[in-house]
Amino acid sequence: MTERVITLCYRKIIDAAATRPWDKLVLEDTYNELRIQAQLYNPERRFRTYAELVHHVPGASQLSFLVSGVARGYLPQLGGLVPDVVDNLGRRFLRFSRFQFEIINSDLLDKSRHQVTINFFSDPLTWHATIENLLLVSAAAADPENREILTHLVPLQPFLGIYSIQTPAAV
Amino acid sequence: MERKNFLKTLFLGAVSAPAVLAACSKDEADTVTPTSSGTTTGGTTSGSCTVAPTETEGPFPTKVPSSYVRSDITDDRTGYKLTATLTITNSNNSCAALAGALVDIWHCDAEGNYSEYGGTGMQSTNYQSVHFLRGRQTTNASGQVTFTSIFPGWYSGRATHIHVHVYSATGTSLKVTQIAFPEGTGTAVAAVNGYAKGLSGYTSNAQDNVFSDGVAQELATVTGSTTAGFQLNITFAVPA
Repeated sequence: MTERVITLCYRKIIDAAATRPWDKLVLEDTYNELRIQAQLYNPERRFRTYAELVHHVPGASQLSFLVSGVARGYLPQLGGLVPDVVDNLGRRFLRFSRFQFEIINSDLLDKSRHQVTINFFSDPLTWHATIENLLLVSAAAADPENREILTHLVPLQPFLGIYSIQTPAAV
Repeated sequence: MERKNFLKTLFLGAVSAPAVLAACSKDEADTVTPTSSGTTTGGTTSGSCTVAPTETEGPFPTKVPSSYVRSDITDDRTGYKLTATLTITNSNNSCAALAGALVDIWHCDAEGNYSEYGGTGMQSTNYQSVHFLRGRQTTNASGQVTFTSIFPGWYSGRATHIHVHVYSATGTSLKVTQIAFPEGTGTAVAAVNGYAKGLSGYTSNAQDNVFSDGVAQELATVTGSTTAGFQLNITFAVPA
C-alpha cells in the first residue's frame, strides 16, 4: 500500500470507575475546579447538573475550557506519551502534544456523576501497512539510518481512531 | 464505639441517612472495610485491610495545583506591562484584610480577545499558553494579591476592564466584579491609546452597560507609563 502520514486520537474517558492514581487526581481536581468555576454561571445555585447549566446559561459551555486549566497541569506527568494505548509489545509509545478536555456529565452535588474526557492527538505517524488488526507505524519525523526504520504495531481498539490523514503535497 | 458496631448502626440507619453512606463511598481506595463481593480494582482484600494496589506503570502522578495559580498571567501575549495589586477586605469584619481568599482575574489581550472565546478550541500545539491572561492567587496576611500582566486592550461595547472573582479559602464564591479604569487626558487608557486599534469607537465608563451605574467602588488607581509599565491598585470589600 501507499505510505500515508496519519495522526491518531485517543479519547480517554475518566469517571467514578477510575482506579489509576493519575486518573483519580484528574477526576478529583477537575470536579473541584468545576464547582469553583460553575459559581460564575450559577450564582443563585438554581442548577445542579452540567447539562442544565449548559442548556440554560449562555456562556456556560465555556466551563470545559475553564476547567481544562486544571487537567493541563497533569499532562506533563505523562512524559509526552499518550496513556493507556500500548503497542503490540505492551509498551506506551504514542507521542502527543495536542489535547482537548471536555466535561461529559457532572453534578455539583454528586461527585460520582462527574465524567470527563481528554482527547489526545498523536504526533504524525507514517502508516506503512496493516497486518490483520494491527497498524504498522513509525514516527513520521524518523530519519532512517542504514535504511532501517523502527516501527510499532498498534492494535485497533475502542476509543482509538485515526484523527487525520495528510494529503500528499502537490507535485 | 468499635468500628464493627459503628458500621452496624450505619446499616440500621441506612434508609434515613443516605447522605452519610454517600459520603463514605466517595473514596473506596481509602476504605479498610472488608468487602464480601471480592471485586478488587487493583488491590486485594485480606482480613480487614485492603492491600495497596500494585502500580507497575509510570509515571508516578503527584497532585499539582491548578495551572491558574500563578502571578504572571502574560503567557505569550504582548503589550505594555501591568502590575495589578488587589487588596481584599472583609465587609463583615470591619473591613479588615481578608487573608487566604482565592482571587481569580481574567481580561482581554491588546487586540481585545480573551483566551478561548471565539478561538479554535483547545487543540493547540502550544497548550502552555492556551489560558493566557487568566490567573489565580491566594491573598496574603494583608489581603493582597499581585498579578503581572499586560494592560488590557478593548473591544466594541465595553470600556477597559478586568474581571475579578473572589472566593473563600474553600472555593465558595464571595463576589464577582470588574475593575474599571480612569479615562481622559493623562490617564493610562489615554497613554496606551487602544494599542494598534486607537480609541475610535471606544466605550467610556459612563456609556458602559456594566459601569454606567457608577464606578466609585470599582475604579482602580493606575499610575506609570508605557515605557516603565503601569501599576494598578484597587481594594474590594467582600462579605466573608
